Amino acid sequence: MNKFATVIMAAAAATLLVTGCSKSDSSKIKVGFSQVGAESDWRKASTESIKGEAEKRASIELTFSDAQQKQENQIKAIRNFISKGVDVISFSPVVATGFEDVLKEAKEAEIPVVLFDRAVDVSEDGLYVSFIGSDFVEEGRRAGRWVVKNVGENANVAELVGTVGSAPAIDRKKGFEEIIANYPGIKIIKSQSGDFTRAKGKEVMESFLKSPEADQIQVLFAHNDDMALGAIQAIEEAGKKPGKDIIIISIDGVKTMFEQILAGKANCTVECNPLIGAQLFDVVEQIHAGKSVPSRIPSVEGVYDNVGGVNVGTDREPVVTKKITQEIVDSRKY
Amino acid sequence: MNKSSNKFRHLVWPLVSLALLLLFNAIFTDNFFKIEVKKQDSAQAVQSTAVPDDLPGAAGTAAAQAAAEEVEAAKQTVKESAGQQAVPEKKDDKGVSIFGYYLYGTPIDILNQGSKVMVLAIGMTLVIATGGIDISVGAVMAIAGAIAALLISMLDAGNCIGAGMGPAWYWIIPVAAALVLSTLAGFWNGMLVAGFGIQPMVATLVLMVAGRGVAQLITDGQIITFDNPGLVFLCNGHALFLPFSVWIVVAMYVIAGLLTRKTAFGLFIESVGNNERASRYAGIEARRIKWLTYVICGFCAGVAGLLAASNIKCADSNNAGLYLELDAILATVIGGTSMAGGRFFLSGSLVGAILIQTLTTTMYMKNVSPAIVQVPKAMVVIIVCLLQSPVFRAKVLSVFASKAAKGGVQ
Amino acid sequence: MKKFKFPMRYVPISATILVFFIVYLIGIISFENFGSPKVFLDLFVDNAYLGIAAIGTALVILTGGIDLSVGSIIAFTSILIAKMIATGSNALVAIALALVIGILFGMLQGWLIHCFSLPPFLVTLAGMFFIRGCGFIVSEESIGIKNDPVFNFIQNDLTIKLGKGMNLRFIVIVYIVVLLAAIFFSQRTRSGRSIYAIGDNELAATLMGIPVGRTKIMTYTIAGFCSALAGVVYAVYLKAGNPLNCVGLEMDAIAAVVIGGTLLTGGVGYVFGSLFGVLVLGLIQTLIVFDGRINSWWTRIIVGLLVLAFIFMQNLITKISKSKSKSQ
Repeated sequence: MNKFATVIMAAAAATLLVTGCSKSDSSKIKVGFSQVGAESDWRKASTESIKGEAEKRASIELTFSDAQQKQENQIKAIRNFISKGVDVISFSPVVATGFEDVLKEAKEAEIPVVLFDRAVDVSEDGLYVSFIGSDFVEEGRRAGRWVVKNVGENANVAELVGTVGSAPAIDRKKGFEEIIANYPGIKIIKSQSGDFTRAKGKEVMESFLKSPEADQIQVLFAHNDDMALGAIQAIEEAGKKPGKDIIIISIDGVKTMFEQILAGKANCTVECNPLIGAQLFDVVEQIHAGKSVPSRIPSVEGVYDNVGGVNVGTDREPVVTKKITQEIVDSRKY
Repeated sequence: MNKSSNKFRHLVWPLVSLALLLLFNAIFTDNFFKIEVKKQDSAQAVQSTAVPDDLPGAAGTAAAQAAAEEVEAAKQTVKESAGQQAVPEKKDDKGVSIFGYYLYGTPIDILNQGSKVMVLAIGMTLVIATGGIDISVGAVMAIAGAIAALLISMLDAGNCIGAGMGPAWYWIIPVAAALVLSTLAGFWNGMLVAGFGIQPMVATLVLMVAGRGVAQLITDGQIITFDNPGLVFLCNGHALFLPFSVWIVVAMYVIAGLLTRKTAFGLFIESVGNNERASRYAGIEARRIKWLTYVICGFCAGVAGLLAASNIKCADSNNAGLYLELDAILATVIGGTSMAGGRFFLSGSLVGAILIQTLTTTMYMKNVSPAIVQVPKAMVVIIVCLLQSPVFRAKVLSVFASKAAKGGVQ
Repeated sequence: MKKFKFPMRYVPISATILVFFIVYLIGIISFENFGSPKVFLDLFVDNAYLGIAAIGTALVILTGGIDLSVGSIIAFTSILIAKMIATGSNALVAIALALVIGILFGMLQGWLIHCFSLPPFLVTLAGMFFIRGCGFIVSEESIGIKNDPVFNFIQNDLTIKLGKGMNLRFIVIVYIVVLLAAIFFSQRTRSGRSIYAIGDNELAATLMGIPVGRTKIMTYTIAGFCSALAGVVYAVYLKAGNPLNCVGLEMDAIAAVVIGGTLLTGGVGYVFGSLFGVLVLGLIQTLIVFDGRINSWWTRIIVGLLVLAFIFMQNLITKISKSKSKSQ
């Protein structure tokens, strides 16, 4: 028995050793990054941006970990980064709460933390150095302002909500509702979760289109492009014209959505930029060099539609929409 | 009682539950049973020209009615002419009906969206009947969708064998590849369970965890979109007034039914599920039977995966078929198949799948807050299962009986 | 032939323990800092909630049943506690209420399973949907637990410092205590032995006069309690509640139990094995994080393959020792 078992174990050990055996180079900045998962094209673009940028820079040694959309995995990863002794930890939090203890541990171990893409909710300052990324509430607001300016002050909106309880779903809804609260004529008459996926987006839209209120729906607000793309199919199958009979607005700005807008099947997408890998490693290098960095670094984001020139920001901070052209579609990487 | 009533007795309770749910919808949901007959192109044209953008409400319905009437009229003429001409097996480029007409409405949606779980449930029923379980079907769906989408995108780009056949026919290659791959996945599960004697839940857990990774590996983590008419037709096209996916379900149900009820295969399955050792002594190749059920289940998962990909015209490795294994198991058990094995009802599983989809669609239609959707779903499941349980019925009946008896005494 | 005869029933669990240490050794050889005691301690800190949940799952599986509601109960418990504290309740009251709900829910599931002979898979699946929905009703948004005296006390005063960056947290102590209690219960008490008897052959157990119904309902009640306690531990661990957390955790718990040498058909295995099942899963995750180059999809495939390798090894070792004992 023992002999046989030993052979198998040796084989298992060998396979693991092939994947293992990374010897670290002390001159490099060791960065541990924990990503939310690989749940969408958007997330994939974000991962590529980080990995590609890390490969480009000779000074960076990246340890990348995928949390598979689970907070418990992410916390384990951050703890392991601390044990491993990385120089900087960065992560894109799955949710806002629950990171306080592990961040304190990082602070005790004197490892600076940079948040990426989503913020965390902690009760004391100084647990993280900087936060780079988008503001989901503002994205919702931008979508709301676009509806007010392009559809008018009277509109019946159907809403495709993201995964129930997730930060982008809650914040985008909050931002959108904040804006339309000022316009009693704009009402959300249908709201249901499409789980951020195409299949669910289509299924939910199909049922919207068969409900008694179906003919009143004038605007569709989807919390991400994938759901909007599914809904476009459902609208076409119902014999309506997406983008005309029902105005479609969503958030993210992926290439497929741009193509739909160019084809006239959708109207607007509020960009949520995933390509902030370069920004991240700039900050990491500055921190490592002992320089101070701003605690909030907004990512550069636009709003794209089929009209152009609409200000969807505030008067003080205007954000003007760009009309989608073939060049913009072609230059889109994700 | 006679034989036929016994044969269908297992169907009574799921059907009663389904009827109750439909009744609820008939009363409380407007338009639930409204089915229109649509003609793909002209009906669309009529509607969109008749509806001005600022008057969607009343005009929309009027236009729809007008369209429906027109379609009715047109249907007559087509029926007449169809008698004279040979019916052309024409595949429209937009993935529409063979005859150009189809039914449109919520019940049709339920059938179409429920087709995935129905197909899965057919395979799952056979596996559960042998006393096993397959929790990897969701992941196998993702693999099937991924390989189909990858191949079709390669064919569209022209760098794959068979591209010369042209887009009207080469979709057969990805479909076949997806089915072969998913059948292999089923073979793998069968090998672990029947070949190596690993517990079914653990054995299929391996593929459940790893399968989605394989699917992502195939698509390189990307969502691959396609618009090949053949592939899109599977879940978006219509034939004989119904979505094509419904006909796929019907075909698979008939084949599975013939296979299990007209050959000894079904008996073998039940025998293995009842007592594996005894059936081995009786000369049944228990291993091979079990193995085969997993292979069939894998094939079914492949079909379901193709339907899921076709429905949204893309392969989404992360979300395709996610948690659908649970729905498939639920459908099977609601349909009266025992999880201990030894007894199975294919028709019951289909009713179970329709019940689950009806429930989901009802939630969407009634604007139930997304947060609580799961609560009523869980309650309906438990109620249906209680109705199914002979113990429960006996207990309830005895309570009624004793009350009646007391009433009689007083 | 050896003089010392190793009892057959310890073979699968010994195999698991052996594999755990081999994998651990591989980690130490391959990565610097992997051998630091902090990594080992963190295995317990990060998996305490999973371990507690796995104890309940192990007992249920020993009766031949299954419990799929584990992850949902953890999520529900954590969000309930967070919400109650946020609305001004005492943390101890919140924790007590959460535990009571867990117990009652487990009891309800057990009652449905036993009294109406419904399949456990189905009842606990419905329970999983139900209780997660309830979690969303409590709050859709995750809620942090801030500046609560009870939680701060647990955090600051009940933690034993073992050195720089190394803390033996209270939740680890809770886990070990519950584990020891469960081992004692399953091996040394009449009810515990009844669980094995039922899992081995329910009919025989009934005929022997073992109270099958009472034992089954009790087991599901204990499982409900374990899940709720895991939820409390989770809330302490994160200082937050989130209705979305722990989706699919029941599968991890089941995998841990099975890796720990318990048969899903019931009657065979040890609660103690779940400890090593949990540690092995945690160790695999740690290895992957330390490596840091594996793509997310490769991670899934590797985890799947490792689970497979594990099952094979166990099967093989068990078979070989079986044939040896026969030849003896």
